[in-house]
Amino acid sequence: MEWINIFQKILIANRGEIAVRIIKACQEMGIKTVAIYSEVDSDAPHVQIADETVNLGDPTPIESYLNIPKIIKIARDVGAEAIHPGYGFLAENPDFAKSCNDINIKFIGPSPEVISLMGDKIAAKTKMENADVPVIPGYHGENQDNKSLIDEGKKIGFPLLVKAAAGGGGKGMRIVYSQDLLEQSIESAKRESKSAFGNDTVFLEKYINKPRHIEFQILADEYGNTIHLFERECSVQRRHQKIIEETPSPIITPELRKKMGDAAVAAAKAVGYTNAGTVEFMVDGNLNFYFMEMNTRLQVEHPITEMTTGVDLAKWQLKIASGEKLTIKQRDLSQRGHAIECRIYAEDPSNGFLPSVGKLSKVEVSTGPNIRNDTGIYSGMEVTSYYDPMLAKLITYAENRADNIKKMIWALSHYIVLGVTTNISFLKEVLNHREFKKGNITTHFIDNYFKDWTIAKNGLPIDAIIALAVYDSIHSRSEEIVRYKEADPHSPWKHLGRWRVGGEEVI
Amino acid sequence: MFINYEHENHVYNVTIERKENFFFVTYNNTEYKVEAEELKPGQLKFKVGDRVVKSIITEGDKEKYVFVDGAVFKVKPVELTGFKKKKKKEMGDLSSPISGKVVSIKVKNGDSVKKGAVLLVIEAMKMEYLIRAPYSGKIKKINFKENEQIEIGQVTLEMSKKGG
Repeated sequence: MEWINIFQKILIANRGEIAVRIIKACQEMGIKTVAIYSEVDSDAPHVQIADETVNLGDPTPIESYLNIPKIIKIARDVGAEAIHPGYGFLAENPDFAKSCNDINIKFIGPSPEVISLMGDKIAAKTKMENADVPVIPGYHGENQDNKSLIDEGKKIGFPLLVKAAAGGGGKGMRIVYSQDLLEQSIESAKRESKSAFGNDTVFLEKYINKPRHIEFQILADEYGNTIHLFERECSVQRRHQKIIEETPSPIITPELRKKMGDAAVAAAKAVGYTNAGTVEFMVDGNLNFYFMEMNTRLQVEHPITEMTTGVDLAKWQLKIASGEKLTIKQRDLSQRGHAIECRIYAEDPSNGFLPSVGKLSKVEVSTGPNIRNDTGIYSGMEVTSYYDPMLAKLITYAENRADNIKKMIWALSHYIVLGVTTNISFLKEVLNHREFKKGNITTHFIDNYFKDWTIAKNGLPIDAIIALAVYDSIHSRSEEIVRYKEADPHSPWKHLGRWRVGGEEVI
Repeated sequence: MFINYEHENHVYNVTIERKENFFFVTYNNTEYKVEAEELKPGQLKFKVGDRVVKSIITEGDKEKYVFVDGAVFKVKPVELTGFKKKKKKEMGDLSSPISGKVVSIKVKNGDSVKKGAVLLVIEAMKMEYLIRAPYSGKIKKINFKENEQIEIGQVTLEMSKKGG
């Protein structure tokens, strides 16, 4: 099928694997692509495969991939009809979307108004409540006297959470299990918040027991057609960032899936959402679900939905933005099999997940049936500290969850990234964990089971020792053999030249 | 050939000999007969016993990365000269760069020696290693007897610096 109105040329305002993903979708559809890049990315894969490239110069994000005037000017100069923002950077920046609209360049995503609304967590929640989408019961009002707060707390029920409005990092946060402890908890949260943030305003929220992060993929065209493409289970997170995503979720029943899917569609319709988006829910231990927020972009983890539904989300983004109608009907969609995504990060899991930088001396991704690699890396590439440490995504697909976990472990075991520390061995341990295998995952999973995880210090296995010795034996020249004595001019080995094996001679 | 690798603050003392198509790797008193080939630069395939192992090795500025059986290990070649120098400065002693047997002791307590004189001979894997005086001075204490086993890093003997 041909798309008559599809764009001729678009600019991709991003880098790394997502820029590569979008450029490849464009290539399939016959759309010319313009890549932008900062100085440190001049050899990056997205630059190599694009039709046109423009240098942004200074690699600091604010001067490059976040620089709206620079990017808008480039888009105009090269004659791009649309801009795809990818994820991160400017993807959820309403000013950027508006700047595009202002000069008649199509922003591939929802309208600036919708981005703005969803960026305001409280306004979004109110909007969702009005659309009958369940939200976490709570009080975010201005009445901060103890009596009002206690009354609101009773309405919410227990356990509940007292949260500092200005909070972060658990400061000024209290879990309250019963009414008689409410007043003292409010007071101590206020005190803590006052001293930590200089503001003692608190919120009250229902405390979610065994919370899971489950999100629904949405596609909506510009004619009011909206569908969901089922869920993604994203509970396995570290420092609030997802590391393993899967679909279907091991706990969702067909009934719950339908209810949550309908709620996600209702949420999107309530704000007049267009293009691809994601409605995030919190699901508690009793399978109650609550709206958390809506991500107005293509998600990092979109490939698992593509694997299980057969729908190409990146292409649909382009089609919808160019004015095509959404021809997929909800009833035509089904989930088939199971998909997992692992995010490969340049970070050290045994050292607080700190990012690691350096030169990738070797990159060799694993390949095989139903293994998908979305990457933006190559052997010889320098990993800098300018951008996100996510190197690549590894996605596997199998008939069922148990088989797929095995496939992913296989794929990770054959995934070679040398030169910087990665989280690959950590990912394998998570997948191998008995609770993960049972599907018992919550957003506390990593903290519960891997808090002080370090790579098992079992030393070098004999195979590594043999490999090194053979390698050094093949590659050594006489100079190197005497390496450890070379600073010593009196070394007998200097005079000998080469090591003698099995010789009788004694000096 | 002796090689010392450092991994997680532990030094691995390895010996490798090449004979015809085989490599004989000795580590921790065990010898492994290895049939190996380098398929592509840094990409090894080797057979040890009935196991076939594939490994990838790359070299960084100071370290090597080994990928084997799904795991990555970062190792550093041990700079024994630097290691020894540091110890000498601190304690004025001499440590063995290899694990092996003390086959010959050329000096006795109280001997005055000149810089470069052979003090001790250590044999490991049919090869001999000479411990020479790093400076002129007097032998204070010999820590080993002939035919005793010595481990890497162990101090062979102590000597005082001339005039010091």
